[in-house]
Amino acid sequence: MDNIAGQNQGSKLAVNITVIILVLLWLLPTIGLFVSSFRDRDQISNSGWWQAPLAVDLNFRTRVAADGAREENGTFVLEGNVFADPALASNFPDATGTIAAYGTRAVAPGEFAAGEVSELRAGGTVVVNSDGSYRIETAEALDRGPTLYFEARTPPKFTLANYRTVLFADGMDRAFINTLTVTIPATIIPILIAAFAAYALAWMDFPGRGLLIAAVVGLLVVPLQLALVPLLSLHTNIGIGQSFLGIWLAHTGFGLPLAVYLLRNYMVGLPRDIIESAKVDGATDFQIFVRIILPLSFPALASFAIFQFLWTWNDLLVAKVFLPSGAESQVMTVKIADDLLGSRGGDWGILATAAFVSIAVPLVVFFTMQRYLVRGLLAGSVK
Amino acid sequence: MKSRLYAGVATLALMASAAHAQDLIIEPGTEGFNWDSFEAFAAEHDFTGEALTITGPWTGADGQMVNNMLAFFAEATGADVRYSGSDSFEQDIVIAIQANSAPNLAVFPQPGLAADMAARGALAPLGQETADWMVENYAAGQSWVDLGSFENADDEAEMFGFFYKVDVKSLVWYSPEQFDEMGYDIPETLEDLKALSAQIVEDGGTPWCIGLGSGAATGWPATDWVEDMMLRLHAPEVYDQWVTNELPFNSPEVIEAIEAYGEFVRTDGWAQGGPEAAATTDFRDSPAGLFQIPPSCYMHKQASFIPTFFPDGSEFGADYDFFYFPSSSEADLGDPVLGAGTLFAITSDSPAARGLIEFFKTPIAHEVWMAQSGFLTPHSGVNLDVFSSDALRAMNEILLAATTFRFDASDLMPGEIGAGAFWTGMVDYTTQGNAESVANMIQERWDAMR
Amino acid sequence: MSPVFQGILTIIIGVGGCVGYFYFSNMLLDKVIFPARGPNTGRNINRANQVRPWLFLFPAMFALGLYLAYPVVGSFWRSLFDRSGANFIGLGNYVDLFSEGTFRTAVMNNLLWVLFVPAMATFLGLLVAQLTDRLSWGNIAKSLIFMPMAISFVGASLIWKFVYSANPDIGIINSIRDAMGLAVLDPLQVRFWNNFFLMFILVWIQTGFAMVILSAALRGIPEETIEAAIIDGANAFQVFFKIKVPQIMGTIVVVWTTITILVLKVFDIVYTMTGGNFGTHILPSYMMTYMFRDDGRATAVAFVIMLLVLPVMIWNIRQARNEMR
Repeated sequence: MDNIAGQNQGSKLAVNITVIILVLLWLLPTIGLFVSSFRDRDQISNSGWWQAPLAVDLNFRTRVAADGAREENGTFVLEGNVFADPALASNFPDATGTIAAYGTRAVAPGEFAAGEVSELRAGGTVVVNSDGSYRIETAEALDRGPTLYFEARTPPKFTLANYRTVLFADGMDRAFINTLTVTIPATIIPILIAAFAAYALAWMDFPGRGLLIAAVVGLLVVPLQLALVPLLSLHTNIGIGQSFLGIWLAHTGFGLPLAVYLLRNYMVGLPRDIIESAKVDGATDFQIFVRIILPLSFPALASFAIFQFLWTWNDLLVAKVFLPSGAESQVMTVKIADDLLGSRGGDWGILATAAFVSIAVPLVVFFTMQRYLVRGLLAGSVK
Repeated sequence: MKSRLYAGVATLALMASAAHAQDLIIEPGTEGFNWDSFEAFAAEHDFTGEALTITGPWTGADGQMVNNMLAFFAEATGADVRYSGSDSFEQDIVIAIQANSAPNLAVFPQPGLAADMAARGALAPLGQETADWMVENYAAGQSWVDLGSFENADDEAEMFGFFYKVDVKSLVWYSPEQFDEMGYDIPETLEDLKALSAQIVEDGGTPWCIGLGSGAATGWPATDWVEDMMLRLHAPEVYDQWVTNELPFNSPEVIEAIEAYGEFVRTDGWAQGGPEAAATTDFRDSPAGLFQIPPSCYMHKQASFIPTFFPDGSEFGADYDFFYFPSSSEADLGDPVLGAGTLFAITSDSPAARGLIEFFKTPIAHEVWMAQSGFLTPHSGVNLDVFSSDALRAMNEILLAATTFRFDASDLMPGEIGAGAFWTGMVDYTTQGNAESVANMIQERWDAMR
Repeated sequence: MSPVFQGILTIIIGVGGCVGYFYFSNMLLDKVIFPARGPNTGRNINRANQVRPWLFLFPAMFALGLYLAYPVVGSFWRSLFDRSGANFIGLGNYVDLFSEGTFRTAVMNNLLWVLFVPAMATFLGLLVAQLTDRLSWGNIAKSLIFMPMAISFVGASLIWKFVYSANPDIGIINSIRDAMGLAVLDPLQVRFWNNFFLMFILVWIQTGFAMVILSAALRGIPEETIEAAIIDGANAFQVFFKIKVPQIMGTIVVVWTTITILVLKVFDIVYTMTGGNFGTHILPSYMMTYMFRDDGRATAVAFVIMLLVLPVMIWNIRQARNEMR
């Protein structure tokens, strides 16, 4: 009796595998970004994120200071350990490691095996052992120490530094509050307005109703970009200018067609007798709307709220046009795109972290409200 | 590191309470700085409690440095200065001006954009007195005045932009250690530079790291190459005609310059990863090749600001150095230098805004940034000893030693060309086009604007 | 005043103002203008009910008119003027656009996007919806596939830059090519096909949307029809294509249109991934190159987008009309 999946073990397995592959394909890019957000810039450009948990062979350089030389039987000797270089402390925190090979030129960092004695270009010899200790012998005192290169296995390294940079950037807290200031009214206002309009379009009789519904559907498809230029000048002319009020109104306008469309479709499907019996009992339309329709439409309201929230939270374009660019009114997307990414455009680690920080809240909202989303959308689309 | 820390503290202090004076990164009275000019300025100007808003393209480390500098103005006058930087400043300022919510001052990275704004009547003229001052006190002062003068809404030329912070673009960055190990010498002529490039290829290396990527502005580093080539192949007058389109974009001179750039990026093995990689590698990532072991390239041509994007802890002298992008010995055009600069313009007039322009006339306003990093100045009254590094001093010398100084052409061309068609055209040329069809395309776009 | 307090205050004013309008305007209507008492009670109630729909509708109509209808007209008007906005040049902007190569490429690419993205997203969404239907971990799988919906377009572009990067140490595609001994190539520079790589990002985002709705629709199919088909000896594929798909055709069409409309609005992906280089411009991204530089040209492009959507719009209005009958 069951369909495709239930017929036999073989097809069940096939379905499972197909779904696993699809899910992996969908998840893989995000995982890559997530792993990268814990790595620093050098690591990201040196090895792929899929290699992050593995130890990798990397090349390093250390500059030997010339002033530590001592004289031994007429030759000058410089001794030390390459891992003791403070510049390498982030890779070898306990100043120990194992060297596979070393070299004296950057083009061939692994020219000589560990323990092998080689000639220095400036005269003299050098040897680097596998524990990192080196010994340089020269006939005369050097005024500048040689640079040694070596190849060593580096343990995997993860860091929270990117998150610190992004989360504690100057003004990020302000940007977070600004985002909420934009997002919350820009989500609630269109829902309220649309709910009343949807009720009127669904349950009230008045001339021109059909025409209005057609108009709403038509406006669904108007591209947002079309509105930016004329509206900014309109806002300026009537004195709103670039302000929170302006961006609320803009988001409200842009979100309304979908809201009215979805909510009307949902409300039309509500049982007629509830509304009619309430009318018989003498309730006004306003009372019916507030006491009966609003609670019953909750799934539809919630599903639209999720959409509008995601859209306003992630919006960059509208915020750039309708909000002033100063720090007092920057929202998070603008802060990340224009301030953080601008000066650190080449820093993949920061980019990855910024992306993750900005999707955290939408993900939480989405996962908590998920079940309403489906119910609400269904009413709007399934006939 | 220290200045960063201070800047962080300063910004925090600003946020906590604007009235409270910011910490100054240099103790007034420190030797070498022109404190007299600071005190004289402070005595004459008082804007206590007045708000002064500024927007500009500097973010991150640069943003902190400009705040550090502005803290001195705030200290001297008591004004409440608020700077905010944006990576898409060019869009933001146009929107703000359309919306009548322009800040007091805007920092334009491109004179072309400022000229557009001036033509719309959005900028306040700085006056003859400031122009006279600049002729007197800036090296090659008249040329800076000319670069900052635009036509106003009534088609009359006035000075609107005050140049502050200059970049030198004709620089090649390299690792002295690498050159030393491989036995390469700093090339003295363009011909030597090409010979060196060929030599590096012969030795199994890659001479150049080139990265044109810059988000929506992808392609601009290539425009710098072409401009430098223009100055090395043709007389400066030809360059000036090119900027105004008196010399069409598809004329043989320009095509020759494009192809001269092409020789570096498109010759097999000269550019790291080949032209395809060059076209998409982010310009901020591309110098990383110099620092890899083994090095994935030996030279990187970029303006004086690029050390900001070098790996953390890189030191001038030990890890990197630069040389002047040499001129051609055949062409006999002297040593031309390509540069760029940012200009302050008043977008919403106020006494405090005028006050800041006055402040820029004092040497101290330049010296406090010279003591940080990435700042060059044509101001002749400053003490060059306060430069924070020999690198900056050396770059300032290149600026002053130039027999010919020309401003970045793409910054002077109209936005659709200099910040549009020229960029995308260069990306096309780098990856597959031929110079002539690209030049034709750009000229067509220029024609279509009229 | 602390920013938090300021934020809360503005939120209260904004939302409160909106609630206040509906509450007080209704009260005004019922208690003051047409009070439901006194000699004219009945007539007053009727009058109040005639006015009330407009009271309910007014804010929505006002906002829609101002923010969507007016710009359509206003933009068209603006597109007839040159860059300064002072000189009327008729259809000059349109003529110039159509003579430009990049614009024609953008139109062609846009048509590709409109055909490919909705089709692919709907198909994949349907596939996942069907496959996960009876799976024990189906809901987890669906949640994971839906997740990209919560990511901004800019964030999504960033994620895919990691996948497409030409550097085999960053981009996974090139690392696989590298491991297989193939030459490294930049997927975004492969002419023509690079458009599809960009489109796939939007497919990646929108499949979750299609899946959620289609999966709910699949569950709404009455069991009897499926049982009857199985008893008649239909195999799994026949059941799916001949019984299930026709029953949810209405939903499929709605999903398809919704995604189509979205495709015509998205500029972020192209803008951040390639900046329109390598022949990947689409109309919304092409418009951004003119935005705030030459408003006449920009609005002309916007209007061309509008014309492209027109068939979808007309079709949608007809659908809505049919439903009402």
